Amino acid sequence: MSRGAAPAAPEPPHEAWPDAGAPSWFTALLQLTDSALPTGAFSHSYGLEGYLHSGAVTEEHGLADWLDAYLDTQLTTTDALVVRVLYGDLPGVADTPAEMDALLTAALVPREIRQASVKTGRRLLELSRDGFGGPAVAAYRDQVDEGRCDGHFCLAFALVGRDLGVPLEVLLRAYAWSTLTSLVQNAVRAVPLGQAAGQRVLTRCRPRVEESVRRAMALEPRHFGATAPGLEIAQMRHEHQHARLFMS
Amino acid sequence: MTAAGPSAGPDAEPEGTGAACTGRLALRIGQRGGRSVAVEQFHEGALRVLRPHRLDDSGQVCFVVVNPGGGYLGADRYEMDVRVEDGASLLLTTQSATKVYRTPQGPAVQRTRLRLGAGARLETVPDQLIAYRDAEYVQDTVVDLHPTSSMCLTEIVTPGWDPGGERFSYSEVQLRTLVMMQGRPVLLDNLLIRPEWGVSGVGVLEGHSHVGSLVVVDPRADEEVLAAVRACAEAAARACAGPALAAVTSLAVPGLVLRVLGDSTGDVGRVLADVAAQLRALWCGQPPLALRKY
Repeated sequence: MSRGAAPAAPEPPHEAWPDAGAPSWFTALLQLTDSALPTGAFSHSYGLEGYLHSGAVTEEHGLADWLDAYLDTQLTTTDALVVRVLYGDLPGVADTPAEMDALLTAALVPREIRQASVKTGRRLLELSRDGFGGPAVAAYRDQVDEGRCDGHFCLAFALVGRDLGVPLEVLLRAYAWSTLTSLVQNAVRAVPLGQAAGQRVLTRCRPRVEESVRRAMALEPRHFGATAPGLEIAQMRHEHQHARLFMS
Repeated sequence: MTAAGPSAGPDAEPEGTGAACTGRLALRIGQRGGRSVAVEQFHEGALRVLRPHRLDDSGQVCFVVVNPGGGYLGADRYEMDVRVEDGASLLLTTQSATKVYRTPQGPAVQRTRLRLGAGARLETVPDQLIAYRDAEYVQDTVVDLHPTSSMCLTEIVTPGWDPGGERFSYSEVQLRTLVMMQGRPVLLDNLLIRPEWGVSGVGVLEGHSHVGSLVVVDPRADEEVLAAVRACAEAAARACAGPALAAVTSLAVPGLVLRVLGDSTGDVGRVLADVAAQLRALWCGQPPLALRKY
C-alpha cells in the first residue's frame, strides 16, 4: 500500500450473511462472550496483579501496554492456535481435543495460569450443558467428567463455537475480545480506573485484536505455546504474593 | 500422536535422516559396576564429544559437546540423540558458547532427542547462546522420561552479537523443549524471541537483556523443594551484580521451572548454577559443578 492516509478497503465478509437479520449463532455468541457469563473470569488477572503490586502498571496507558503483551503472546500464540487446531485449521499440533488438552496443560507453565484455564474451562463446560449444547463440546465434557481431560477454557470455547457454526475468524475475535473485556473490568476494580478509562483502553484494543487474529492465522505449529519470559515471571511470582485480589 | 508438533514423531532418530546433516552425535550411557559409561558412541561431521571425565565420585559421567566448526551457519542442521539407560547418570555440557552466524540460506537447526530410563539422570549445562546479526536459530528438543527418571536442563540466551554493538540484531531465536512421559506431554517450553515482534518491553524481557531457564522433572520435586528453590533463586538474583528477576513454578507432574531475567551471562548463570548446586546437594550429595573449560 502506498504511503498516505487512504483508508483500507473493508475486508470481505467471511461467509454469506443473511439478507436481513443476523446469522443463527449471533445471539448465542453474544451470550458466550458476555462478561456476565459466570465462568469466574472476574477472579483471574493472569499475572496483571503482579504488575499492579510492583507499581509497573498504575494507570490506563500502563494497562494498555500490559494488555498488548498479553494479547501478543498468550492470546495469539497459545489460545488462538488452540482454536485453529480445534477448527481443523492447523494440522501438526494435535489430532484430537484430548491431545490438545494434554498439550495445553504442558504448555501453560505457570501453575496459576494452568489452574485458571481449567477452573474457568470447567465452569464453561457446566454452562454448556444447558446453554450451548452441541456434539463437540459434549464429547469433550464427557472426557473431562471421566478424568481423561483437564477441561481448558479456550478448548471449551472453541468447541462451543464450532458447535454453533461460528466461522473461525469470527470466533478468534470473539475469544480475544471477551478475554480483554474481563481483564479490563478486573483492572477497573484493581488499578483502580474509571469506567470511561476502561472503555478507552478497550477501544484502543480493537485494531490490535484485528492484528492479533491476522498474526495468529499466519503462525505455524512450531509457534504454539510461545511465551514471554517477563509475563511468566510475574505469573509465577503471584503464587506467593501477599494481599491478593485475584487467584492468578 | 502429533502433539509434538513439527519435531514430533517417535521416528525422530538420527538414523536414516542424517544424510543432510552438518553434524550428528549419538550417545548411549549405561550403568556398569556402579559407574556410568558410554556404551555406544557415534559422531559424524561437525559435532563430537571430548573424552568423558568425572567431576566427583558419584559415578556420574560428564561429556563435553564440541562443535569443531566453531559456529552454526545458515541451513546447518545438527542432530543429537542421547540415551541414558536405567540407573545411569550423565552430565552434558558444551566446550564454549553456541554461536549462530548470519543464516541467509535458512535457519540453523539443532534437533536433540533425549531418552531416560528408570532411575536415570540427566543434567545439561550448555554455555550461553549467542546469535549474530540476521541469524535465525531453531533448537528443538524432545525428551522421553520414565516416571522415576530425573532431568535438569538449563539454557542461557544472550542479546546476541553485532559488530556495531547493537543488541537483538538477530532475526529469531527459538528454544523449544517438549518433555514426554509415557506418551503424554508433561512440559512444552517454547521460548521464542523475534526482535521484530518486540523484545525489551513490558512482558517480554522487561528491560533486561539475558534470559535463563532451568527445567526440572523429578519425582522428588515436591512443594518443599519448590519453596527451597524459590528462596535460593531469589537470594541469588538479589546477589547479582546487575538487576535480575527470578521466579519458580511447579509443573502438573513433579517438577519445576525457573525463569531468570538479567543483564549478563554471569548474573543469569549464577542464579541457574546456585539452584542446580542446591538440587545436586539435596538429591545426590554432589558438590556444586566446577566446569574448568578455559
